[in-house]
Amino acid sequence: MSRHPLLLLALLSSPALVVWEMSHGFDPAAMRAAEPMAHRKGGYVGSDVCLSCHPSQHASWERTFHRTMNQIASPETVLGHFDGERVEFFGDWARPHRDGERFVIEIPTGDGGRRVAEVALCVGSRRYQQYFEEVDLPAGSRLERLPLVWHIEADRWMHMNGVFLEPDNEDWDVHRSNWNRNCVFCHTTGPMPGMREGVQTAFETGVAELGISCEACHGPGGEHARDYRNPLIRYAAHMDIGDGGGGADLVHPPRLDAQRESAVCGQCHGQRLPANLADLITWLDTGPSFRPGERLENHVTPVTRETPSVRASSPDLFSQRFWGDGTPRLTAHEYQGLKASPCFEGGQFSCGKCHTMHGGDPHGMIEEEMRGDQACLQCHGEIGADIPAHTFHKKESAGSRCLECHMPRIVYGVLEIHRSHQVEIPDAARDAEAGRPHACTLCHLDRSLDWAAQELDRLWGDGRGDYPSPSERLDGAPLSMPDGVASLLSGDAVQRAVYAAASGNPNGAAWNQGFLRVHLLVALGDAYPAIRWLAKRSLLALEGRMASGIGESLAAWEHDADPIERVAQLRKLIGMLVQKAPASLRPAADRAAAFLIGEDLSPMMQEISALLDLQSERVISIGE
Amino acid sequence: MDATSRRLTVLGFYLLAVFLPLGLTLEALHALKVPVYLEDTLRRELWTLAHAHGNLLGIVCLLIGANGERLIREEQRRRFVARWLTVGAVTMPLGFLLGGVLNAEGDPSLFILLVPAGGLALLAALVRAAWGVKD
Repeated sequence: MSRHPLLLLALLSSPALVVWEMSHGFDPAAMRAAEPMAHRKGGYVGSDVCLSCHPSQHASWERTFHRTMNQIASPETVLGHFDGERVEFFGDWARPHRDGERFVIEIPTGDGGRRVAEVALCVGSRRYQQYFEEVDLPAGSRLERLPLVWHIEADRWMHMNGVFLEPDNEDWDVHRSNWNRNCVFCHTTGPMPGMREGVQTAFETGVAELGISCEACHGPGGEHARDYRNPLIRYAAHMDIGDGGGGADLVHPPRLDAQRESAVCGQCHGQRLPANLADLITWLDTGPSFRPGERLENHVTPVTRETPSVRASSPDLFSQRFWGDGTPRLTAHEYQGLKASPCFEGGQFSCGKCHTMHGGDPHGMIEEEMRGDQACLQCHGEIGADIPAHTFHKKESAGSRCLECHMPRIVYGVLEIHRSHQVEIPDAARDAEAGRPHACTLCHLDRSLDWAAQELDRLWGDGRGDYPSPSERLDGAPLSMPDGVASLLSGDAVQRAVYAAASGNPNGAAWNQGFLRVHLLVALGDAYPAIRWLAKRSLLALEGRMASGIGESLAAWEHDADPIERVAQLRKLIGMLVQKAPASLRPAADRAAAFLIGEDLSPMMQEISALLDLQSERVISIGE
Repeated sequence: MDATSRRLTVLGFYLLAVFLPLGLTLEALHALKVPVYLEDTLRRELWTLAHAHGNLLGIVCLLIGANGERLIREEQRRRFVARWLTVGAVTMPLGFLLGGVLNAEGDPSLFILLVPAGGLALLAALVRAAWGVKD
């Protein structure tokens, strides 16, 4: 008998210990909820809570760049080289370095002095990483962007002024923007900017998660997680008994209709304003009201070319993000492009038709086959049976790839040119008059828009005039000129950026013609550093396919170096090309003048200058 | 059954009495999706090991308690084996269990030191028992 209490104690000891530990011990979810800025309002619980039931989905999300969109600065998250080397820009310099565990950047103050700014937050992890410092204020705080970014692929520092598409600007602080009232909306989950009443510069920001996590697409998960802790509800749902156990379900985007599914992506990949502009103040406090599963347009108005600016100092704020025909030309407007596509009218076309959030390549969130023809053939299968009959190009050529013609690369963003998400049929007249790049001549850079219109009509219009010839180019350059030359010299900044990138396609129809290198060298003198960067990259790509003797000097040429030295080096590069280029790059005598070059590849500067004068005087300033 | 074997048998039952309910408790934590358990992978591993080792060593104690006199004939040697088996069978699963209590992120608590100590005790018992069987 004396053993019974002891046995009872033994039986109860381990459960009692476990229960005690559960209530007093280390709790990972509680620890993350206590991280800087984390909130658990509005039903948000954070991605850790999803892990226990959805480990494979959690793992497939964890490898994405969505997760690492925003990160607290730490040795594990900072990608830039804080090695103490000076980074020079427009005669001044910054010095990223470590101070113990801290990441700091010594930067100019604008009045001749210098100060040390501590990196608190990193934004971005795929193309480049930006850095923000925390500024403490009496009514709260705010995170302000520092002037240097780390370009991941190029493995180098750059100044912020060189990664946005805008002219050279010596002001180090022109992009010192406020994270709490800008970035927070799309680069976090469950953002609550927490703007202090009456103090529009101070914030007490909270986010469900730094980065784009489960609840950004599936909606706040608190109720679902709580209900589904009950095994009866779980197994009723697994076995589809009754109403699935009656637990609160989350939104599963692929099960939504195309409109609502795309809205999940469009809440960030579709720049927008509150449907009622007066709600902007509410947004700046409690965040956007849209939740996955809802109609996006019930909450917001996606911006278009016609959307009036909300900034008096920048009347073209929104219109400059679109080509003349309304096609988006800046990233984060993919939702607008998608909705304007004829495919969208069928009610089946949505982001998820091509993209996947839990599979494929995190670069683009896409399965490999969807990067090719399969993206279109899943609906237009009949074309796949005989692709050349539709494309009039060889089966293997770029001209037979659906996306090259119907989703051309005409969108600027993060120092790169991306595919348009507005699926369309090429139209030379439309594109010439809208001042936008044309799919045919992005590859056939040596051909004019007039030629493109004739070919479109001959091959796809059966000569019926379905594809009219353009009446004029918006930039004023002659219609008969090769579009690659005219757009690089006379186009507006986005047009020039697109053609600077397209000219470097080593599989393009004109890659082996010397005029491309001449005009890319001219583009190295562009007033926009981003265009110079793209032009240099293209030249290096062409050099990689066929050397012209300038490769080494070109690689050493810096697109953001001191302007006087930069231009002097550029002149030398042009001289080297004229001197060293192989005969195969030199044009035939009767064709040279059409490309504004001599037979020796020397640029016809007078004619080129006349075209450069046509560049739109309107200053383009678009960010990411 | 001599006193040594009886003590081992009792210990075996007590180990099962402690660590079988632990298994049931862990299953309940899974069933109820208790985040504080499921999200700490280290704690999950330690407690699973505690459950497995506790029950396995309990069964070992029962087996040796029942058959010790036949397997290890020498009384002194049998007492030695029983003593160190008792130490190992208690400290090792207890080390795993308490290692997952009040642990920090990524590391068990210092009770985990009981595990290697228990392991050494079990090794000593095993070696001595093996020699005993040979004799």
